[in-house]
Amino acid sequence: MHYQTASWGSYVAPSRSNAMVGVGGDPLERIERLASENAVVIFSISSCCMCHAIKRLFCGMGVNPAVHELDEDPSGKDLERALIRLLGTSSVVPVVFIGGKLVGTMDRVMACHINGTLVPLLKEAGALWL
Amino acid sequence: MESHRIIGGGGLGLSEAGPSATHHQHHHHVPTYGVLHGINTTNPSTLINEGHAFNFGELEEAIVLQGVKGRNDEGKAPLFTTAAAPPRPAATLDMFPSWPIRFHQTSRGGSKSGGESTDSALSTKTEPPFEAESPMSKKATTPSSLDHHDASRIIGPSSSSQAKSPHEKRKGAGSTSEKPLDAKTLRRLAQNREAARKSRLRKKAYVQQLESSRLKLTQLEQDLQRARSQGLFMDCGGVGGNLSSGAAMFDMEYARWLEEEQRVMGELRNGLQAPLSDGEMRGIVDGYLSHYDELFRLKAVAAKSDVFHLINGMWTSQAERCFLWIGGFRPSDLITMLIQQLEPLAEQQIMGMYGLRHSSQQAEDALSQGLDQLQQSLVDTIAGGPIVDGVQQMVVAMGKLANLEGFVRQADNLRQQTLHQLCRLLTVRQAARCFIVIGEYYGRLRALSSLWASRPRETLMSDDNNSCQTTTDLQMVQPSHHHHHHNHHHFPSF
Repeated sequence: MHYQTASWGSYVAPSRSNAMVGVGGDPLERIERLASENAVVIFSISSCCMCHAIKRLFCGMGVNPAVHELDEDPSGKDLERALIRLLGTSSVVPVVFIGGKLVGTMDRVMACHINGTLVPLLKEAGALWL
Repeated sequence: MESHRIIGGGGLGLSEAGPSATHHQHHHHVPTYGVLHGINTTNPSTLINEGHAFNFGELEEAIVLQGVKGRNDEGKAPLFTTAAAPPRPAATLDMFPSWPIRFHQTSRGGSKSGGESTDSALSTKTEPPFEAESPMSKKATTPSSLDHHDASRIIGPSSSSQAKSPHEKRKGAGSTSEKPLDAKTLRRLAQNREAARKSRLRKKAYVQQLESSRLKLTQLEQDLQRARSQGLFMDCGGVGGNLSSGAAMFDMEYARWLEEEQRVMGELRNGLQAPLSDGEMRGIVDGYLSHYDELFRLKAVAAKSDVFHLINGMWTSQAERCFLWIGGFRPSDLITMLIQQLEPLAEQQIMGMYGLRHSSQQAEDALSQGLDQLQQSLVDTIAGGPIVDGVQQMVVAMGKLANLEGFVRQADNLRQQTLHQLCRLLTVRQAARCFIVIGEYYGRLRALSSLWASRPRETLMSDDNNSCQTTTDLQMVQPSHHHHHHNHHHFPSF
């Protein structure tokens, strides 16, 4: 919620040549792109148990999130570093985007759920019906 | 009563009183002075004699001054009206014939009243040597034991008894009253005063020390009781009996938090009774929320240093431990309890509460599943792999264990958010009532733990069929039940 995608757009570093196909561009850009591809996007690490918990949370609510496992992504390290810079904390996963907008880590997601703002957000993004 | 005695016995009656009784009464009975009028031998020397037993400095000074001033003191005036009589040590008052008065045995001796002549008079005039101690002397051997006012009181009774045996050698007092003060006397008087004052201060300090020790003892007993009720001592089997420093620190702070809880609860209750305005209640309710925020902050610190301590619940009472979920209470259970206890609620509020419970349940399930996965992963790491890889295994396992802290943090976060949301759903007064209910609920769980821990246990010999014989309530608990306490970590929530 705190970051607009527009601001990311302004941060355009000279494109580094990534060996990976389809990866091109700056990590933040990539994050932004990935985040807007689905209603609910979670950046996670496959071995992280908290990530598992957050996946269970959304699934339990009937939401089908798009999960990007950073440890299974070739440029995962870059993405992770970019996320760290974005969030300002070192424990970045799991990180949740809803409707392309950053919601936050487990802390924020749970707070939003308890105070009743998560569900409307999900509905607005089309991730939940009824 | 003393007056009676004095009058009746002509002063002799005082001997009938118990030492301490009379002693005390002496301090408070000015009326006895009146009696002294009729007593012929109001001999300041005797007064001084008695006085020295109590607070020699004051008494002596009083007498001396009165003698100098011409005896126009209030309480003491009557005493000295007849003091003009020459000191007659032999005929001096023996108010306590049964209590021979020690004369020479106090540090100040008996010689300080008035001038030198008085001194000698006092010190030498002892006809009957003072063998035993009068009770009053005894009491006064700690010279500080009496106050200034004792002087005058003493004079009263002292003078009241007729001169019997020449126990008093203080005839010098008589002469004292006629001698002018000189520098030496003044100095001596001052020294006496000083010594008396110092003794009094010492005694006061000692008493204060006793008092504070007593308080400390009570405090320690309370802490012990609390710790025992929390099963710290009873259930050492589960923990190994040793607390890490982080755990010990947290336990201490939690104990303090519990005390603070009582205070905040009191505020809530008082606020509801003496109906405060909504604005004021808001402040109190926010105070309660901050109180819980503080607990979560403490737990966050403790989780960093000793997460196992939080998770195994050794910091909390046994009954609370029974329902433990990731190091604390389960929010949905709390809300379920509250929905029942907080009626009547508006429709919208009830819906809000149910919705809150639902969200909390979802979050709890998610966290529980995450924790399950952590446990599974840990087991895989520890159990699997060849021994060769031991160190590496441990390193990996340690890394996974570190995640525990995150789960406790998230669980506390959930608890905190739930409490705050409760506050938003309810009106101020409802929120206050809600928090009172919460506080009382956990208070009762703690009390239950306490009672349980201190219940009488009977080891029944053979009959060991695990049946819960509750007919005679606590008396009949089977010993086998006791061991269940150690197994609480098997509860499925973790």
